[in-house]
Amino acid sequence: MLPTLAVLAVFVVWPMLQALYLSFTDYQVFSPARWIGLENYGRLVSDPAFGNALVNTLYYAAVTTPVSVGLALGLALMLNRRMPLRGFVRTAVFVPVVISLAVVAIAWSFLLDPNIGLLSHWLSEIGIVSEQGWLRDPALAMPAVMAVGVWKNVGFYMVMYLAGLQSIPAVLYEAARVDGAGTWPRFRRITWPLLSNQTMLIVIMAAIATLQAFDQIFVMTRGGPFFRTETLVMMTYRVGFKEFQFGYAAAVSWALVALIFVLSMLQFGYFRKRAVTY
Amino acid sequence: MRLRSRVRLVTMTAAIALMSTACAGQGQGSGGTPAETGGAGGSAAPVTLKFWNGFTGPDRPAVEAIVSKFNASQTKVKIEMEIMPWDVFYDKLLPSLGSGTGPDITAMDTAQIPQYAARSVFQPLDDMYGPQAIDPGVLVASAVDATSFKGKKYGVPMNFTTLKLYWNKDMFREAGLDPEKPPATWAEFGDYAKKLTKDTDGDGKPEQYGLAIADHATVPMWPILFWQNGGGVVSADGRTATLADPATIEAARHWVDLVTKDKIAPIGLGGADADKLFQSKKAAMEIVGPWMTTGFKEAGIDFGLAMPAAGPKANVTLGTSVAFTLSARADAARKQAAQDFFAYWNNKESQVYWAVNSGFPPNRTDLTADDLKESPYSAVFGQDADKSRFYLAGVQEFQKVNETIFEPALQRVLNGQGDLEQVFGQAAKEIQAVLDSAQ
Amino acid sequence: MPRDNRGLRLTWRVLSTATALAIGLAMLFPLVWMVATSVKPEAEIVSFPPRLLPDTFTLENYAAVWERLPFTRLFVNTVIFAGTVTVCSLLLDSMTAYALARLRFRGRGVVFVLILVLLMVPFQVTLIPLYDLLAGLGWINTYQGLIVPRLTNAFGIFFLRQFLLSIPRDLEDAARVDGASELRIYWRIVLPLAVPALLTLGLFHFMYNWNDLLWPLIIGQDSTRQTLPAGLALFMGQHVVEYGPLMAASVLTLLPVVVFFIIIQRRFVAGIATTGIK
Repeated sequence: MLPTLAVLAVFVVWPMLQALYLSFTDYQVFSPARWIGLENYGRLVSDPAFGNALVNTLYYAAVTTPVSVGLALGLALMLNRRMPLRGFVRTAVFVPVVISLAVVAIAWSFLLDPNIGLLSHWLSEIGIVSEQGWLRDPALAMPAVMAVGVWKNVGFYMVMYLAGLQSIPAVLYEAARVDGAGTWPRFRRITWPLLSNQTMLIVIMAAIATLQAFDQIFVMTRGGPFFRTETLVMMTYRVGFKEFQFGYAAAVSWALVALIFVLSMLQFGYFRKRAVTY
Repeated sequence: MRLRSRVRLVTMTAAIALMSTACAGQGQGSGGTPAETGGAGGSAAPVTLKFWNGFTGPDRPAVEAIVSKFNASQTKVKIEMEIMPWDVFYDKLLPSLGSGTGPDITAMDTAQIPQYAARSVFQPLDDMYGPQAIDPGVLVASAVDATSFKGKKYGVPMNFTTLKLYWNKDMFREAGLDPEKPPATWAEFGDYAKKLTKDTDGDGKPEQYGLAIADHATVPMWPILFWQNGGGVVSADGRTATLADPATIEAARHWVDLVTKDKIAPIGLGGADADKLFQSKKAAMEIVGPWMTTGFKEAGIDFGLAMPAAGPKANVTLGTSVAFTLSARADAARKQAAQDFFAYWNNKESQVYWAVNSGFPPNRTDLTADDLKESPYSAVFGQDADKSRFYLAGVQEFQKVNETIFEPALQRVLNGQGDLEQVFGQAAKEIQAVLDSAQ
Repeated sequence: MPRDNRGLRLTWRVLSTATALAIGLAMLFPLVWMVATSVKPEAEIVSFPPRLLPDTFTLENYAAVWERLPFTRLFVNTVIFAGTVTVCSLLLDSMTAYALARLRFRGRGVVFVLILVLLMVPFQVTLIPLYDLLAGLGWINTYQGLIVPRLTNAFGIFFLRQFLLSIPRDLEDAARVDGASELRIYWRIVLPLAVPALLTLGLFHFMYNWNDLLWPLIIGQDSTRQTLPAGLALFMGQHVVEYGPLMAASVLTLLPVVVFFIIIQRRFVAGIATTGIK
C-alpha cells in the first residue's frame, strides 16, 4: 500500500496539485508562473469558447452515455442466451474496446470521407447523401464523433452487464416461470433490479469517460468545424498546447473536474436512494 | 451535507498530500544531477546537437542525406536528428523546451517562429549572417526576412517555396478546355472551375469539382485570393487586421459564392483532404506546394504547374519557408556548431542536392538552370519568388489569429452560418485585439 | 399449437442470429477495411469508386513499414512498457484496493475520494507538470520515465476495491483468528480469489498502455525509447498521408492486442462474470 501511495503521491497527485496551482497563475510554459488569483476562473464565465465547449461536452455526454449503456444492456441480454455465433459476436463487439481509438479514428475518417470514403459511397448508393461529408458538416460532425464513441465503448459496458447477468441465480427465473411470468415481467421484476448495482457503476464510469471525450475528436475533427465538436478536454489541449496559455487551460480542466465530481456525486446519491427501495 | 463533507475531505487530503510530496520531491531532486543531452565538454569530442523537425513527407530522404553528409564531412559537430509529423513536433516542443530537455536546433514554419521568439525560447541569429558565414546576399531575400521578429532574425532558411496552381490536364481535355492553358485571370479561373464541376447523377452533390481549396489545417489557400484583390487577413506589416476591409470582403464574397452556389469546391476540406481530392481525380485544380508532386505523379495524374490566376489587383501567390532555429539555452560552442551546420545546409552543393531531390526550389539565388536541370519541378516553384507573400509574417500569435479566429470565421461563412460582413467584421475585431495585446 | 410454436421459435432464431451476425460484422467493419486497405497499392486506396476488397494484392506497404520503422525495437519497447506497467500495476493496485476494502485506518474515506477525483482529472492538464518533474529527475527518454508514473492508477484501485467488497470476509476472518498477518492474508487468500478480476484489469492495463499515444510520444524522444503507436504516428504527415503504410503499421500495432484478447477471451469473460462487481 505504501509504495502505491508514494507513486500516486509523487507522479499523480503532485502534478495534479501543480496543475491546480497553475490554474491560479498566468503560466505560459516558457516563463515562470505569476499568481493572478481567480482571474482565470473569472475569464471562464465570460469566455464564449468555454460556454461552447461546456455545452458540447454536456451534449456529447447526455447522448452517448444513455445510448451506450442502453445498447450495452440490449446486447448483453441478447448474448446471454444460448445462440449460434455467440462467441463471435461477443468478441466482435468487444474488439473495438481493446484497439486504439487514435488508430481506428483514422480509418473512420477515411470511411466517412464524402468523396472517396467507402461508407459514404455505400450510403449514397442507397440514397443517403451527405453533401459535405459527415465530419465536415457542422450539423453532422457531432453525431458522427458520438457514433464512433459509442462504437468504441459499448463492448466494455456490455461485458460488465454480461457479468452481472451471469451472477443472477437461475433459480429466480425458474420460479418466475413457474408463476407464469412472461419475458417483460421477468426482466422488470428480476433482471433490472438485480442489475442496479451494475447499472450504477456503468453509468458513472460511462459518464466520467464521455465527459472527458477527446481521442476520436482529436483525430477526426480537431474540434471543428468552427468549434462545433470542441469539448472541454479538447479546449484544454488547444488553449494549453497550441496557444501556450497553460494557466487558463488548467482552469478549464478544473472546471471540468468540478463538473464531473458534482455529476458523479448526484448519480451516486440517486442510485443509492433507489437501491434502498429494492 | 454529504457532498459538503466530501468536498472538505478532498481539500484536506490535498493539503496533506501536498506537504508529504513536497518533502519526497525535495529528497529525490537533490539526489544528483543526471546528465542530460549528451553535452560535450572537451574540445576533442564533437558537439552533439539534437535536431527536431517535421519532414515526414517525400522530402524526408533528402533531409536525411544532407544531414548524414554533413556529419561525415567533419568531426567537430554531430547532428542527431529526429523526424516527426509537425503536429507531434509542436506538441513535444512545448514541454521539452520549457524544461530544457528539448532539441538544440529545430526547423519550423517561419510563421510559427514569433510565438516562440516572443517567449525567449529561441535566440537571435543576426550575427550568423554575413559574407563569411551565411551570406544573406545569395539567399532568397523573402525567406530570410520571414525569420524576423521585432527587428531580429531568429532563423536561417532551411527551405523556401511558392505555391503554384496544379491542374489535371486530362480533366481539362474532358471538359473541352485547352490542357496546356491554365486560367490566367479570376474570370477564367472561376469559369474553368464551373466547367470542370460535374454533378453527373443529379443528386445536388458534384462527383467532380473544379477546385480543391482547404479552409483549415492547411497551408494558406484562401488568403491568396484575398491578396489578389488587395485584401488580406492582416496588413503586410502585421499590425492591422484587414479581414473586414472592403477588398477582402469583396474577394471573399466572390469566391464564397462560387463555392456555395456553383459548388466549384467542397466545403470543409483540410489540407490533406484537398490533396487527396486532387490525387483521386475528383478535383481538377489545386493551389499547393512542391511536396505533392511525388504523390500526384504516383497516382498517375498528368498535371501542369503555373502561377495561380492573377486577381483584379495583384498577381500574387503564397511564399512559405521553413527555417532553422536555435534554442535560447544553447551556449557559444553550440551556437558555433549550429552555424556550421546551417552554413553547410545552404552551401551550393547541398542546395543543388536539395533542389534536385526534394522538388523544392533552392534557397540560393546564384544557382544556374544547368545546376537544376535534373529536377523538373524545382525551377517552376522557384519562379515568381518576387510575386510571393508570406502569410501573417511577423505576427506574434500565429496560432490564435489563424486557427482560433480566422479559419473558424471562414468556415462559418462557407457553411452559411451568419452574414459574411458581420462574421469577418467580428473576426477582424478579435484579430486586432490579439495584435494589439502583443505589441 | 406446438408446431406453430416451433416454427415461430425457428424464425426467431434465424432472425436473431442474422441480427447478431450483422451487429458483429458492423462492429468489425472498420478493422476489415483497415486490413483490406493495408494490402492495396496506394493509387487504389485513393481511387474512385472506393471498394472494400483490393484488386491487386500487395505486401509492399508492410515492407515499407519494415523499411522505415525500427519495428523490432519499437515492438520490444512496447512490450517492456505495457508489460511492466501491467504486472506492477496489478500488484500495487490490488494492495491498495485490499487496504481500502478491508483494513480500517484513519483517512480511508479520504484516500478513496481522492482516488475518485484522480479518475476525473483529464490527463492533458497534468502532463506538463509531470513532464517537468520527470525532467528534474533526468528521466526524460528513459524506461523509468515512461513506466514509473504509470505503476499504479486510480481506475485499477477503484475497480479492484469494488470487486474485493463483493468477496465474503469469512475466509479472511478465519485466517485472522488463526493469527495470520495481513500480508499473508492478502497474498494467500485474497489474491487467488481475485484472479478473474486481476485478469480483466490486466487486459485493460495492457491494452491501455499498448495503445497509448501521447504519453510515450512525449516522454520517449527517439526511437530507442518510443513505442509502436508513437512510431506509427510517424506515418501521418501534415501534407502527405501515406495511407497504405499507415494502415499496414496500424494493423501490425493492433494485432498483438487483438491476439492477446482472443487468447484470454474465454477466461476473460468468465473472469468478469465471476467478478459480479457489486
